[in-house]
Amino acid sequence: MTAPKLVEHFFRHEYGKLVATLSRRVGVHEIEAIEDAAQSALMAALESWRVAGLPDNPSAWLFRVAHNGLMGGLRKRTGRQRILERSAVDIGTETPQGEADVALAGEMRDDLLRMLFVCCDDAIPVESQRVLALKTLCGFSVPEIAHRFFTSEANVYKRLTRARRRLRELSPNPGELDGELTGEQYACRVPAVHKILYLLFTEGYLSSHAELAIRRELCDEALRLAALLADHPVGRVPETSALLALMHLHAARMAARQDGAGGLLLLEEQDRDRWDAHQIQAGLEWLARSAEGDVLSRYHAEAGIAAEHCLAPSFEETRWEKVADYYAMLERVAPSPLHRLNRAVAVAEWRGPDAGLEVLEGFEPPTWLAGSHLWAAVLADLHRRCGNTRAAERYRGIALESAPTAAVEALLERRLCATPGAEASARR
Amino acid sequence: MPNYLCMQRSLPRGDAEKPSPAQMQEMYAKFGAWQAKFKDNLVDMGGKLGAGKLVTADDVPDGPFVEVKELVGGYMIVAAGTLDEAAEVARECPGLVSPGSGVEVIEIHTP
Repeated sequence: MTAPKLVEHFFRHEYGKLVATLSRRVGVHEIEAIEDAAQSALMAALESWRVAGLPDNPSAWLFRVAHNGLMGGLRKRTGRQRILERSAVDIGTETPQGEADVALAGEMRDDLLRMLFVCCDDAIPVESQRVLALKTLCGFSVPEIAHRFFTSEANVYKRLTRARRRLRELSPNPGELDGELTGEQYACRVPAVHKILYLLFTEGYLSSHAELAIRRELCDEALRLAALLADHPVGRVPETSALLALMHLHAARMAARQDGAGGLLLLEEQDRDRWDAHQIQAGLEWLARSAEGDVLSRYHAEAGIAAEHCLAPSFEETRWEKVADYYAMLERVAPSPLHRLNRAVAVAEWRGPDAGLEVLEGFEPPTWLAGSHLWAAVLADLHRRCGNTRAAERYRGIALESAPTAAVEALLERRLCATPGAEASARR
Repeated sequence: MPNYLCMQRSLPRGDAEKPSPAQMQEMYAKFGAWQAKFKDNLVDMGGKLGAGKLVTADDVPDGPFVEVKELVGGYMIVAAGTLDEAAEVARECPGLVSPGSGVEVIEIHTP
């Protein structure tokens, strides 16, 4: 017989579910034993299913094997007594909790979502939170994470170790499982969860990784977890809707950002017919829902910008005044020199390159920005369009020198090469 | 076509890394493709081998047998025209012939 096909990412996503559910059952301080048990169960499945075929309920099969393996291992290690005490708490009835938390914690049935909140512990550095979430919730291995983040395996491992150390330290209060969050903690961590999902998404979206599939995967994971969050009362806030809106609206344009050879394409060069209409539709629906309530977050502003681009019939017909407004709003809610730079670009499209330069007048960029290709490229472009050839040349040199990848360099070369003289001769 | 017994053997110095979930999914898919390709050759997919006992006329403890238990991971039976053909079926089986694992292919004589 031939092994039946499995849905895409089945093993990775089952790994995440196993880790999340077992963490709730035995406590997140056992994270290492839990991850080992999940890994072993998947290996056992690989061995068994390809010969015997799929069981009726693959997830239940995996859970049984992982649970038995974990319990066996823990029993061996810590002795029978402690485990028996613990299983009375975990497998039996509801975990006893403070009265106020019962309702919410009882609703947190989705173990994956719970695990996401566990990862977003402010005692864990954000970089480690991100690695922990990718490892435990998305089922990526250390080498796979390193490959996606352009960093060394040792570095990923170090961050993971730091996060796990914190999880191990979570000691149980009497009558309560360790790592169990109170309703208040859930509410407090919502912004941290938003931030992690945003980072995961932008890592995939903005990464200069040549393989579109790899970048897409990170975006899909962020979308999957964000949808989970939006589906639960604790996460049903306008910011979550805005975050989902911006993810869908960016995802809509993802495939069109690359040419056939994997090179990057400018917004004005993209074939708008290749934008994904379903994603745009989903994004606009979330955008409408994000307006329920009087919250205005950075995600709202960014979703607004993405929506303007998606709705514009062409680059020229983009409502640049709206885009510039959104960037101004972004500067107010999440001050960053990068947002000022983006506003300058939008204003230049709206009212001309001189007006764009005006936005940056008297603005001292921090060193990290001043030395980056982004800053230099925008200035080179604006000066070139104003006819300030010498300034344009100088910034162009800096931009090409500081381009992080060959793809970016090729894009800058194409964009910044066209001097007014060359344009004129091309027209002739 | 004669049948051949294929026995997986773990090889020394095979410190293969644990596959990631994504790699496992890939292995699963490759295995399916391999099964489809050689469906006429795969007589018995066999299975993993567990604990064993050597039964002899003498009252010998199963000392040397322990090593065999550790060495042989699993078995299957394939039908093929020649030993080389059978070896090819085994060689193409995903994961069977890898840094930590090899396969012994033995013809089964039927009377």
